[in-house]
Amino acid sequence: MRPHLLALGAIVVVGLLAVAGVHDAVLLDLLFTLLLYAVLGQSWNWISGYAGNISFGHAIFFGCGAYAAALCVTHGLSPWLAFGLGALVAAALALVTGFPTLALRGHYFSIATIAVAALIDAFVRVSPWLGKANGFELPIAPGWANLQFAQKGPYVVLALALFALVQLATIGLERSRLGYYLRALRANHAAAASVGIDERRWKLIAFAWSAVMASAAGVLYAQYNLFVDPPSTIALAISIDIALIGVVGGIGTLWGPAVGALVYVVLAKGVALKFGGAGKGYDLVIYGAIICLIAALRPRGIVGTVVDAIRRRRGATA
Amino acid sequence: MTALLRVRGLAKRFGSVRALDGVDLDVEAGKLTGLIGPNGAGKSTAFSCIAGAERPSAGSVLFRDAEIGGMAYHRVARLGIGRTYQIVQTFADMTVLEAVTTGALLRHPQVADATARAEEILGFVGLAEKRHRLGRALTIADKKRLEVARALATEPALLLLDEVMAGLTPAECRDAVGLLRRILARGITVLMVEHVMEVLMPIADHVVVIAAGKTIFSGTAAEAVRDPQVIEAYLGSPIAEAAS
Repeated sequence: MRPHLLALGAIVVVGLLAVAGVHDAVLLDLLFTLLLYAVLGQSWNWISGYAGNISFGHAIFFGCGAYAAALCVTHGLSPWLAFGLGALVAAALALVTGFPTLALRGHYFSIATIAVAALIDAFVRVSPWLGKANGFELPIAPGWANLQFAQKGPYVVLALALFALVQLATIGLERSRLGYYLRALRANHAAAASVGIDERRWKLIAFAWSAVMASAAGVLYAQYNLFVDPPSTIALAISIDIALIGVVGGIGTLWGPAVGALVYVVLAKGVALKFGGAGKGYDLVIYGAIICLIAALRPRGIVGTVVDAIRRRRGATA
Repeated sequence: MTALLRVRGLAKRFGSVRALDGVDLDVEAGKLTGLIGPNGAGKSTAFSCIAGAERPSAGSVLFRDAEIGGMAYHRVARLGIGRTYQIVQTFADMTVLEAVTTGALLRHPQVADATARAEEILGFVGLAEKRHRLGRALTIADKKRLEVARALATEPALLLLDEVMAGLTPAECRDAVGLLRRILARGITVLMVEHVMEVLMPIADHVVVIAAGKTIFSGTAAEAVRDPQVIEAYLGSPIAEAAS
C-alpha cells in the first residue's frame, strides 16, 4: 500500500510542477486529456477489471456528467451542482442496467451496456431539452464559481485532483471487503456464492461507483471543452476507447488504467501531431497494432504482466 | 435426537431425467454423517440441493427447522452452511490467505479482522506456511485443504464436504481424517459425501446410502456393509449380472 501512495504522491507533485512550469497549451491539453482518460479507465476498471463484467457503454456515464454540467450552466445554475446531479443520474442508470444483467452468466451484461448506450444516444438526439444532435455551447464565464478558466492550468489541477481521488478510492477498494468480493466473483462465482457473497449486490455497488467516477470526469470535460454533443461524449466510439485503455493497461490492476491512458494519449495525440491530422489515421494503425500485440501476447495487459513477473520473482507461484 | 438438517422426499429432475427421486436424510448436531452411494446415485445432486447451488424440484430441506430448499445460494452460507467442491474451485489469482480471508469476511466485514481470522484457520488446517502461495499453485491435497479452510472461515454450523478424500494418497487421507476429527471437536457438524465407503467407515457416526436417486439405507457404517440392499446397489444383483 505504501509504495502505491508514494507513487501517487510523486505523480501529483510532478503534475503540479508541470502546471507551474509548462505554458505550452498543447502539452497542457495532452496532460488534461491523459488524466481524464486515466480516470475513465479506472472507472471502467472497477466493474470490468475487478468485477470482470465488460462494459461497452461507459461513455454514457461520462455523458451524464457532461450533460449535467451543460444543463446546469445553460439554466443559470452552478456547474459544481453537476457533480452531484450527474453522479445521481449515472448511478441510477448503472443500477437499472446492472440489476437484471450483472448476475447473469455469459455476455448479457456487455450486450445490455451497448443497448442502453445506443438507447441513450438516440434519446439525446431527439430531445430538445438535451440539445438534440447539435448539443450545447456553454457560455463563457471564467472563475472558480463557474468552474471555468481562461488558462488550461487550473483544469489540469482539477483533473489531477480527480485522478488522485479515484486512485485513492481504488487503493481503498483493493483493501476492502468489496475488493475481495469482486475478485472472488470474477475468479469463480459459484465458489463466491458458497462463502455467502451476493453477486448482484456487490457488483451493483461497484457499478454505481464506477458510473459516479465517469460522471465526474464528464463534468470536468464539459467545463474544459465548453461544448457538449453526442459524438464527443456518449458515442459508442468513446465507450470503446475507454474499454481499450483498461485492457491495454491491464484489467483489475491499480495502475493499469493510467498506463493504458498514457499509451493511448501519447500514441493517438502524439502521432496525430507528428504526422499531422487524425484524418490520415496513422495513430489508429499504430494503436490497433499495439492492441493486437497485447491481445495475442500479453492478455493481462502491461501492468498485469509486470505484476505477474514480480509475483514470480517472489516465488508465489513456485 | 436433535437433527440439525432434515431432508424429506428430496427430488430433482433435469428435463425428463430424475436425478433424485425421494431422498430422506437426517444430520444430527455435532456428529459426522456420511452420504454414500454408487456412481450416478445422485450424491452430488443431493449435496447441491442442500447447499443451495441447485433448486430442488420437490421435497423439503430443513436446517434448524427452517425451510432452505430453493433459497438463494449465498443466503444458505449466511445461515451457517459451508461447503467444499468435489472438483476444487479456487479463486485462481488469489493467494491462500486472500481466499480464506474472503470466506472470513462473511462474519468479519473489516479486512483486518477477517485476515486475522483467516490466519488462525490456516494454522488450524495446516496451511499457514503456504499462505502467500497462489491457490492454483498448490498440490491437490493442499487445494482440498484450502477448500475446507475457506468454508470453515464462514464459521458454519454445518460443513458439507464433497469427496474431500478423492485423489489423495493414503498418507494424505490420514491427515485429512485427523483434520476431520479436529473439526468435529470444534463442535461443527459434518455431512460428508464419499464414493469410497472404506474412507467413511472408521469416522462416520451415521451413514445414509442412496442409490438411483433414493435413500435405501440409514444407520451405522457397520450395519451398512451388511445390508443386502446396499450390497446389491454397489455390486449389482447377482441375477441381473448373470443375465447380462
